[in-house]
Amino acid sequence: MKLLNFSFSTKLTFDNYVHNHSFALRCMPIESEVQHIVNCEMSISPFVPTKITIDAFGNTVTAGYISKEHRFLDFEINGCAEIDLSKSKTDYMPCYLYQSEYTKPDKELTDFYADVSAKCNAKDPFERAVFFSDILSDIIQYEKGVTDTKTTADLAFELKKGVCQDFSHIMLSLLRMDRIPCRYIAGLAACDGETHSWIEVWDGEKWLGFDPANNCPVNEDYLVLSQGRDFGDCSIDRGVMFGAYTKQLQLITSSLTTAY
Amino acid sequence: MIKMKNRQILPVTNADEINQLLRRYGVKFGVYKNGQFKEQFFPFDPIPRIIESEKFKVIEKGLVQRADALNKFLFDIYHGKNIIRDGIVPEDFVYISSGYLPQCEGVTPPENIYSHISGIDLVEGGDGEWYILEDNLRIPSGASYPLIARELTRAASPDVFSENGVVDNRNYAKLLKDTMDFVNRGGINAILTPGRYNAAYFEHSYLAELTGAALVQNDELYVEDNMLWQKTYSGGKTRIGALYRRISDEYLDPLTFNSQSLIGIPNLMEAYRSGNVAIINSLGNGVADDKGIYYFVPKMIEYYLGEKAILKNAPTYLPFYEEDRDYVLKNIHKLVIKDVAEAGGYGVVFGSDLSEEKLADFRKTIINEPRRFIAQEVIDFKDLPILENGEQVMRKADLRAFVLSGETTRVWASGLTRFSRNPDSFVVNSSQGGGFKDTWILSR
Repeated sequence: MKLLNFSFSTKLTFDNYVHNHSFALRCMPIESEVQHIVNCEMSISPFVPTKITIDAFGNTVTAGYISKEHRFLDFEINGCAEIDLSKSKTDYMPCYLYQSEYTKPDKELTDFYADVSAKCNAKDPFERAVFFSDILSDIIQYEKGVTDTKTTADLAFELKKGVCQDFSHIMLSLLRMDRIPCRYIAGLAACDGETHSWIEVWDGEKWLGFDPANNCPVNEDYLVLSQGRDFGDCSIDRGVMFGAYTKQLQLITSSLTTAY
Repeated sequence: MIKMKNRQILPVTNADEINQLLRRYGVKFGVYKNGQFKEQFFPFDPIPRIIESEKFKVIEKGLVQRADALNKFLFDIYHGKNIIRDGIVPEDFVYISSGYLPQCEGVTPPENIYSHISGIDLVEGGDGEWYILEDNLRIPSGASYPLIARELTRAASPDVFSENGVVDNRNYAKLLKDTMDFVNRGGINAILTPGRYNAAYFEHSYLAELTGAALVQNDELYVEDNMLWQKTYSGGKTRIGALYRRISDEYLDPLTFNSQSLIGIPNLMEAYRSGNVAIINSLGNGVADDKGIYYFVPKMIEYYLGEKAILKNAPTYLPFYEEDRDYVLKNIHKLVIKDVAEAGGYGVVFGSDLSEEKLADFRKTIINEPRRFIAQEVIDFKDLPILENGEQVMRKADLRAFVLSGETTRVWASGLTRFSRNPDSFVVNSSQGGGFKDTWILSR
């Protein structure tokens, strides 16, 4: 069991006024058997009333609407969570067994899977994940700036480069071909100054976290913000707005530290 | 002159007059072909399809049963999933279906109704038996065509309808309004149209006019406090409690589904999930009218209602099952094969139209992707007479019946009869250039 202090903020600035701005944020850490939110405060600027719901994947969604003209949207969360990996996380959904928008494999990835799975003797789903990740970490290079939020698993695999999100998508694609249910996680990790992504593998009874970008199992230094089939279900912020802006700039800062 | 039991049944002898009026009212059907939008006139044929009272009672009972079972299925799929656990429907068919939306898991629509308006396509076989061709539970269109055609022909010869004892079909507006009122969560009823370049824009505006619902587009709507609002001209806002949307699921909320959608309403899903607005039809219905799921509907009726299906499916085979696959591969030349991902009469192939070489290719495709196809026996369906250049000719026709689920489930005593203008074609979809006729249900 571990207590973590977390903070997360994003500053979204536009180069011109925008209005009629609808947004949906998935940045409040989720409550689960292994992750108890002791306290969490959220602030949004410009101030606007928001509503909170829980979506089908278990994420906390904060929705709002700003009709007036504005040039920025800042939101920040601060709080403390209790992480206890000795407990089991069991919220299963059948869709996690099937490929989703970002994870559909092309021929190259399908062939790669056939090759890797033939070499794998492990039976246990988590051990298979570890085996796949070991091979992946040798051939995919961690590199920023080559992929973006729209990059699919097959494209990242073709590039042989990417960031945590791409590692997660490739792993999900492989595991689903292997008929192992698995899901995408967006969250904060002590090892990463921005947002991080990893996966959870269903072992038949419970979810087990694995971090493909670092090729290691998840420990108690990880905080889950949102979960879903792939990045598409987990966007920390989604918005639609009107205005004559041409550029938007997003600054994200986060921290995750052990609380004493 | 066409007579039935020595009575005149042809309301107008010259369809041109009616067709001219329909043109004037803008009764058109839009199609996108090669990236271009073209409005097609949907030609009306004056000879009605006539269904006798006793026959219709059976059809009515069968349709109510079917719509009820499909609604229960949808509730089950997005909640307890008992039908999968009990092995009636294999899970792959549900979760691979593009109509299944995981975002709808656990979301309960007002009054538990998923399909408020079900457009169920049937054909009458040569043996006089009716067969179900497909269920349309997303946004079935077409009710406005027989409505306005009846309106115009009634004006031309009012006596024909009373003399023949034809059940009045003007109650569609009331059935639709009752349904919207029943699920309304507070506020007005509205019909959401993507705009005048949509294939069914005539229908959207006509139904809004008949039901008193507001005809709205997304730029006048927004979600605030998880409620749906319409901006008013005076700068105020009006709450919408029931939204009859004529936009498909994936474009409905850019913050939940396709983020590129310009015709949706951001955060509509939040308002819907909070139970503050009814969406007609509900989201995620595509999983139940999937061509692959069709096969299981008679089993659903038994499972949820404990009854035998009154209306039969066309004999269908799923290559997914080995036994069916063997049959399909052997008999492909006489079957009709449908791609489950396609709609609107596309992706339908008659084995008899294919060369030996193409059949061999098709067999391979089926072996590689068995889940993608269903195969059906070609039903020898009854031809209906139509007028072409003053002569009567026989053409293939189907019937789209409309079932409305609100406080009770009711079948509209009319429907859209579509026919193929091509004498060799079995495909009667309006996107494929067919015409339509009125459907008379006799009261005695």
